Amino acid sequence: MVDPLNVAVIVKLEPDFSEGNVSYNPDGTLNRAETKNILGPHSAIAVTAAFYAKVKHGAKISIGTMGPPTAESMLQHAQLMSDADELYLYSDRAFAGADTLATAEVLKSGILKMQGKMDIVFSGHRASDGETGQTGPQTAWKLGMTFFGHVIDYEVNTESRTIRVKRLVRLQGIYDVIEEIEAPLPVFIAIDPSYKPKFNTVSQRLAYEKYQKEASQRSQNSKQYLKVFNATQIEGDPKLIGITGSPTIVYKVERIPKGKATRQAEVIDGQDREQIRKIVARMNQSLSTMVIK
Amino acid sequence: MEKYDAVVIGGGSAGLAALKHLSSRGKQAILLEAGEKVGSKNISGGILYSKKPKKGRTYNVEDIYENFLEDAPFERKITKYILHATSKDKVFSIDLTAAHNYEANFGCSVLMNKLNQWFVQQADEVAQKHGGGVVSGVHVSSIRWEGERTIVQTDELEEIEVKAIIAADGVNSEIAYMTGARQKFSPNQLYQGVKVIVKLPEDIMDQRFSIGQDEGAAHLFAGDVTLNHIGGGFLYTNRDTLSVGAVYHLDSLLENPSEPHDLVNALLRNPMISEFVKDEVPVRGEIDKNLPKEEQMRVRFAVTKMIKTWTEMRESYYSRSSRERLVKEGTYGSQAEMEAQLSSLRDQMSTKFGIKFETDYVEAEYSAKLVPDGKRCRMEKPYFKNILFVGDAAGGGVFVGPRIEGLNVGIDDAARAAEVVARAIDKNNFSESYLGQSYSQSVEESPYTHDLKSIDKDYLKIFLDAAKDVPKDIISSKYGMVVKMMSSKTLRSFAVGFANILGYEKLLPIIETLDTYVKVPTEIAERFGSSVTATYTPTIPSIAQRVARLKFNDDSKSHIKVLKPTSEFMKKMITLCPTRCYFMEKEGVMIQHEGCVECGTCSEETDWKHPVGEKGISYQYG
Repeated sequence: MVDPLNVAVIVKLEPDFSEGNVSYNPDGTLNRAETKNILGPHSAIAVTAAFYAKVKHGAKISIGTMGPPTAESMLQHAQLMSDADELYLYSDRAFAGADTLATAEVLKSGILKMQGKMDIVFSGHRASDGETGQTGPQTAWKLGMTFFGHVIDYEVNTESRTIRVKRLVRLQGIYDVIEEIEAPLPVFIAIDPSYKPKFNTVSQRLAYEKYQKEASQRSQNSKQYLKVFNATQIEGDPKLIGITGSPTIVYKVERIPKGKATRQAEVIDGQDREQIRKIVARMNQSLSTMVIK
Repeated sequence: MEKYDAVVIGGGSAGLAALKHLSSRGKQAILLEAGEKVGSKNISGGILYSKKPKKGRTYNVEDIYENFLEDAPFERKITKYILHATSKDKVFSIDLTAAHNYEANFGCSVLMNKLNQWFVQQADEVAQKHGGGVVSGVHVSSIRWEGERTIVQTDELEEIEVKAIIAADGVNSEIAYMTGARQKFSPNQLYQGVKVIVKLPEDIMDQRFSIGQDEGAAHLFAGDVTLNHIGGGFLYTNRDTLSVGAVYHLDSLLENPSEPHDLVNALLRNPMISEFVKDEVPVRGEIDKNLPKEEQMRVRFAVTKMIKTWTEMRESYYSRSSRERLVKEGTYGSQAEMEAQLSSLRDQMSTKFGIKFETDYVEAEYSAKLVPDGKRCRMEKPYFKNILFVGDAAGGGVFVGPRIEGLNVGIDDAARAAEVVARAIDKNNFSESYLGQSYSQSVEESPYTHDLKSIDKDYLKIFLDAAKDVPKDIISSKYGMVVKMMSSKTLRSFAVGFANILGYEKLLPIIETLDTYVKVPTEIAERFGSSVTATYTPTIPSIAQRVARLKFNDDSKSHIKVLKPTSEFMKKMITLCPTRCYFMEKEGVMIQHEGCVECGTCSEETDWKHPVGEKGISYQYG
């Protein structure tokens, strides 16, 4: 009997930017009080990736987040998506004002507080509000784990305790190269936004359904699975957390200045065949001067 | 290769009943559904009946799901069933509730997406206990036999080996075509149904239709609303929505093509129906274009959010159960507080954001489906090797005058198929002669099959009694002989007996005519109907708006291939496709499959397949 996989996911509570849910202040900044917070879209993908390990290998899943007490409902949602066995909320006023490095410190300590040694830790690609993409790699670095970014697919060999990952990378200016790497566990994976789990057999699909059902039952009593840690309980270095542990200073946030339009736009009535002909003629003219390699 | 005892193909109400029944008998069975989830491709009118025929036993929904009446999310039990003859603003109504209640335990309105999701929960739970279950997003591409082995191939998963197959893949059954078990149904064997879901808060509905909380109304329409086609319209009350639809013989539509959505629009524009569907609708004001771009966006987002909040709050306010729940949960202190908040929100919307409130109707979903006319297309041999066909795939469905039953017939088929497969597993005999013929025999014994072959004179009597107020002179001019014979008991028995000897095949062309569905009702309404006026003109969305509101998972490859781009049939598809997927080009008719709702109207002369797993239409109501 091989040891079951032990998998962790770190997630983030983010504002819901969809129309009908988001509110903005008159100065164009986000109205945080009026906007609901949800599981960030990239975090959701990381949760899906962990669920894949559960369906395929019956992995145990622990989900952790640093956030306010209200993040509990987000953890519940993440549990509904992944049938997580344990939920961790790291919440303390002392964590406030953290940049990515200080957040990574809390998450590292938090992951060490999770039950058992982790084989794989997943994070999202980036957050939709901060957009730095730093927290995952920094947490991996603090944990001293092998880090893989832009992962679009992975397969675990539970016997040899190794993993094969596919990464979407850019090589010498060529986009969308897929790099395949094998490594011994444990590893830290920042999942690519294009990740989609694949289940190829009926039995895997049935397992998927089974765990999803279990997930919906579990998430109804998500409190039972939740552990909350404050700054003392997490036993991180107080100097490295919160505002004191944050070397980043945001000097100013500015709107991206609009570039001046250099093109001359012309409005064409699509109903009028004569006008359409003009466009086609113009296109032909442009194409004739182009060299197509 | 993974092995399973039985596989059910298609997760509609028939397929799910087959899975549940088979699993309840302790057998291992899996169900493969092509839609992204069970229920996402299913459409029904729809009323689901439970019957108690004198002629024999039917398997009813509550026989399959014992807790159906207590727990299932069906909409409303239909307690009023009324047929209206229409001509412009005139309506003449005939109460057919007695006919609706005939041999029925109940008939309830349903929305397939919601209901099938409940069915799948029930079925999956039992199936899992026996090593089976439900797999969605999987499209079966072929079935082959290698000696004793039956191998099912899909577009998504590795092949599986099974012992028996129940094909519940609907009216456009690919399993039937690929095996050659039956031909495609021809237009004269099919109805095309097009439906819209209209939102209407619960309490307002109760009041408008004079029904209690647990009651429902069904209204059928014939006459000028048919735009000269054989068939009619319907309006059913759901919990907090209405189903408004038009169902016509496909050959009648081919003869005199009308755009399907125009047929629904004709209903919505009928003053009686306009009044049935009306509601209070918030309309956005123009945003001041002189404001900075960011401010315009902020206002737009704020308006969207307000309308959403108001609509949700109003829906719960006008539903007794939600109202009580929200007060109990402490979201609101009292119902009065809820009312006050709702009206203050409304004030704010109109004073601060220039939102106007108008009388109109709110359409939520447009859908289309083909319906097999069981009288004309029931499969005589509903099997092929070790495959049994059920429901629409087998061409079941009892449509006799105002009697409209499809779902219950599919469930009856499914239970019979499941019983036979369970027995075959016990005996380990999956030969066509055992499996197929036992099933065929069982279906022959079903009272539904009986009703598809001959007229039930008791039902006819109830129908005629209901219609006794209809002035005889109009009907007599068209059906003088028939009326005379039907009015007297002895003559009626004789006439029905004689008619049954003739059989439906000879009878139908006489009964199902433009006279019956259009001319006679129009004349009745014109001469004897009372006038109804609408207080507003409904703003009917265009077909493009309707399609835009549907949810599709785009497939880059078309699941339909046009075979005869210049045929007369395909030219008619430009008009008859409910979502206008066809258009004319120089070389002939072309398809734009992106808006296809997979109804199958064009199936006759196309290479027609369902999209691969998860792709295509995904209905929210159904």
